[in-house]
Amino acid sequence: MTTSRIRNNIRTLRFHHGEMTQQQLAEKVGVTRQTIIAMEQDKYSPSLELAFRIAQVFKVPLEEVFSYQPEEPST
Amino acid sequence: MSFQEKNIVATLTNFSIILAFYLFRIFQMVQTDTFTSTNLFRLWGIVALLAVIGTIVVTIFTHIVGGIVHKVKTNEDPDIKDIQDERDQMIELKGTKLAYTFSSIGVALAMLTFVLGQSALVMFALIIFFGVLANIVADLWRLNLYRKGF
Repeated sequence: MTTSRIRNNIRTLRFHHGEMTQQQLAEKVGVTRQTIIAMEQDKYSPSLELAFRIAQVFKVPLEEVFSYQPEEPST
Repeated sequence: MSFQEKNIVATLTNFSIILAFYLFRIFQMVQTDTFTSTNLFRLWGIVALLAVIGTIVVTIFTHIVGGIVHKVKTNEDPDIKDIQDERDQMIELKGTKLAYTFSSIGVALAMLTFVLGQSALVMFALIIFFGVLANIVADLWRLNLYRKGF
């Protein structure tokens, strides 16, 4: 499976925001539910604009939603 | 399976049928010694028409059936603006890029057969073959991106 190096806490944040459903979040940020699912499974890295919209929905800074995992240096 | 994936599967089926029909007609022409420019260009026309009309019909059909299924399942009207978002557009672009690359290689190979002494008809037959095949490969790649992510 191809995974992105960008990790996110969307699932946790949804849980802490009244168990918001994927569909509700999708509607708030203007994407399909499939895109939210793909992001939660680290199968899709959103655009910067979408990342900001998600952070805005949860009222947290961007870095609390997304983090970057640098590539492990080969030994 | 999302609406976009269903649409890709429908288009993939359409182009696979077109490719099968095209190959069947080409082999039929070769076997009956009717592989002439008139017959080949007529077949080009038929394939182009089938591709354009088939894609339009399949897309409309998927929209209608998808809308009905959505209404039955959720009892809500389907929201047209939510059908394609940035991820869908990105996947579509990646598929289109692959289709262009594949068809360009196909055209180069077709021209190579002409350079190596085959008739121009063979070259033209191969050009449309690779054109249709490029669409199939692109659709398979899009499906793969939907399933495995990118």
